[in-house]
Amino acid sequence: MDNLKLTQTIPAHKGIAWNLSWHPSGNTFASCGEDKTIKLWSKEGGSWAAKAVLMDGHQRAIRQVAWSPCGNLLASASFDATTAIWDKKSGQFECNATLEGHENEVKSVAWSPSGMLLATCGRDKSVWIWEVAGDDEYECEAVLNAHHQDVKKVVWHPLSEILASASYDNTVKLYKEEIHDNEWNCIATLQSHESTVWSLAFDPTGERLATCSDDKTVKIWKQYRPHNPEGLVMEKDAVWKCVCTLSGYHTRCIYDIAWCHKTGLIATACGDDVIRIFAETEDSDPNAPTFELVCTKFNAHSQDVNCVAWNPLGNRELISCSDDGEIKVWNLQDGED
Amino acid sequence: MVELSNICISLFRESSRITSTHGALQLTDLDDFITPSQECIKPVKIEKTKTKTGAKIKIGQDGYFDVSNGRQQKLQKVEITLADCLACSGCITSAESVLVTKQSQEELLRVFAEKKFTNNKGVVQDVSLIVISLSPQPVLSLAARYGLTAEEATTKLTGYFKSLGAHLVLDMTVAEDLSLLEAQQEFLQRYQDHQNDPTSKKLPMLASSCPGWVCYAEKTHGNFILPYISTTKSPQQIMGTLVKQYLSSIRQLSPAEIYHVTVMPCYDKKLEASREDFYSDILNCHDVDCVITAIELEQMLGTDKSLSEVESVPLDCPWPESPGAAPALRRHGGSGSGGYADHVFTYAAEVLFGEANAKLVYKNLRNPDFREVTLEKDGKEVLKFAIANGFRNIQNLVQKLKRGKSPYHYVEVMACPSGCLNGGAQVRPAPGDNSRELVSQLQDMYSRLPPAAPADNKLALQLYADWLHGRHSDKARATLHTAYHALEKNDIALNIKW
Repeated sequence: MDNLKLTQTIPAHKGIAWNLSWHPSGNTFASCGEDKTIKLWSKEGGSWAAKAVLMDGHQRAIRQVAWSPCGNLLASASFDATTAIWDKKSGQFECNATLEGHENEVKSVAWSPSGMLLATCGRDKSVWIWEVAGDDEYECEAVLNAHHQDVKKVVWHPLSEILASASYDNTVKLYKEEIHDNEWNCIATLQSHESTVWSLAFDPTGERLATCSDDKTVKIWKQYRPHNPEGLVMEKDAVWKCVCTLSGYHTRCIYDIAWCHKTGLIATACGDDVIRIFAETEDSDPNAPTFELVCTKFNAHSQDVNCVAWNPLGNRELISCSDDGEIKVWNLQDGED
Repeated sequence: MVELSNICISLFRESSRITSTHGALQLTDLDDFITPSQECIKPVKIEKTKTKTGAKIKIGQDGYFDVSNGRQQKLQKVEITLADCLACSGCITSAESVLVTKQSQEELLRVFAEKKFTNNKGVVQDVSLIVISLSPQPVLSLAARYGLTAEEATTKLTGYFKSLGAHLVLDMTVAEDLSLLEAQQEFLQRYQDHQNDPTSKKLPMLASSCPGWVCYAEKTHGNFILPYISTTKSPQQIMGTLVKQYLSSIRQLSPAEIYHVTVMPCYDKKLEASREDFYSDILNCHDVDCVITAIELEQMLGTDKSLSEVESVPLDCPWPESPGAAPALRRHGGSGSGGYADHVFTYAAEVLFGEANAKLVYKNLRNPDFREVTLEKDGKEVLKFAIANGFRNIQNLVQKLKRGKSPYHYVEVMACPSGCLNGGAQVRPAPGDNSRELVSQLQDMYSRLPPAAPADNKLALQLYADWLHGRHSDKARATLHTAYHALEKNDIALNIKW
């Protein structure tokens, strides 16, 4: 077993700390919470310190923050039904655009890899795709009503403009723009979880997707294209199949999952206050991969763990946040303490 | 109690969704319609005497029973009417998810059989004249479904309604023309008011004939957006007034004796017909009693009967002034949704800028459902109109307005992608067929209908002169215009799910 070494505990938000997002540089991250604030954290003399507090952007809790791939923009999704876009053009971070349209709580926001598209989702069961249309201008490209229930999370494919969403209706859906008529369509529905799917993460190639659920399992899905060597027959361009289910590890709802694109490690945030790390085994079969639990950090937080995020530099640094309002910074080290 | 009654509602909503489905009320794969909200939040007041012990509720097979005072008393079932939906801010639009008793094919067939109907005040009314008004879009939808021409489908449908017991089957060209003529006048007035006071919220003028859009605007954007929406009634409601007020007078009938059915391409037209604004306490009736859609007509015909087997009967023409040509479904240029942008643009170009027969060249914006057209005078844009169809384009339009960045004088807004030819209650494409191809087939059929010419419609001009006391009279205003009402959002904690 490896050891998740705590390097810093930060009392960050009053009430719930909901979400964290790494800046692409890996030397700054943003946090948000029930207290309607966004905080930006950078390293100062070996420890993380608040560099800025963004207030007055939202009237209710902020559920998620997301840095744009270029690192110049920060998007925040709030229960006040809006999504705010913050930038630093004036020298300080300011909210210069607000995306309105969701009927009620916005639960998640994500930038496409090109930074030209933004996706949001929420309690009104819809997924929205917005296009960056110029300075502080965002146009709604599509409103997708494929889910039957609250949509919890949206995540973009790491290399192409394919969007994935996870919902209270127990499914994950994938969307793509039809080239000939510029219409966004749902191209796949991933069904296997037995309860709410809370979060999802692609692997670095985008060929695999990890999902986590209230059913206490993590599932790994693999994309099969036409004429695949496995001989899987399909009518569509591609099908996604569940190739691995990690069950028996988590004792409560799993709220978040992070797949490190550098190290391949998977971290989960769970309602049992535990952070777990999984690694793919060396002899893993691509069509039936195997993952082993390499670290279990009991009492990682004093309450539900809401979010885990790997430093994009691949230095095995992990950040997490919790209902207890704290952020914790961890380092994954080989071997036991 | 409050919690229980709310649970009852959601149970009934679920079951109503199932019973009203018939496999038909699903939305098409063009996924840009306005959808119903997750929760119905109609609050229900339960009449109840106070007890010392509090209520005990037993759930039986056929309902909920209050057993607190020793004997079983059946609790009132929660029924949701269209009027409730209109008054509630819970859903954006709700027509497809509510049990629409007053507006169903069963009700229609019952009225045909019994020649009686129960109005919304619970009064049973004898029916002496059943009038059916056909809008073009659902007729084309059925023509495509049964492999008929537009003309054949019109006469077959007329024959079908006559065989069921209808007395008159009418086209709505005159109502469509009156709606366009009024919209043209309204635009001129708004344009002039805007010149005098640019802060007066008169422009852009936004079309009002789509009830999905109007309902959404009332529930979501309220007083911010409503001043921009044209007060001109939709063709359905103008036809309603014409039948209940004018036709009744020339036939010497009481308006309430007439049962007026419209054939429409969308469910939200049922909501529109149910609005209080279109109920007269004096006449004791709605202007339109029942709205039936293409998809419901397909179901009424059943799986084994084809519309092509029905005997053809020509449309009726009950008006003293003949419209000139034989009654027929007609097209209005520019869009399959009534041609509002085209007609208002052409008229404004001529009257305001002396450009007779202005050529309209639409430019697609981000997608084919957002198009704009401009009039240039001396190198300057003097008129800028747009057609915005579908929910995402409505969003973009509303956001532009909110940020003060709308460049438009007029926008034809329709809630369905591709407009009314792709209405939410048009017949679905056959399994395996592409819905976009079906829409383009309907657009093609629509473009081949004989053209309407509102300004030369003799019947419309006669109605202005005789019935409405002139073009700009108070009566014309009262008869051909309506009003909108903002609805307060009220969210209750019970509905909040994280």
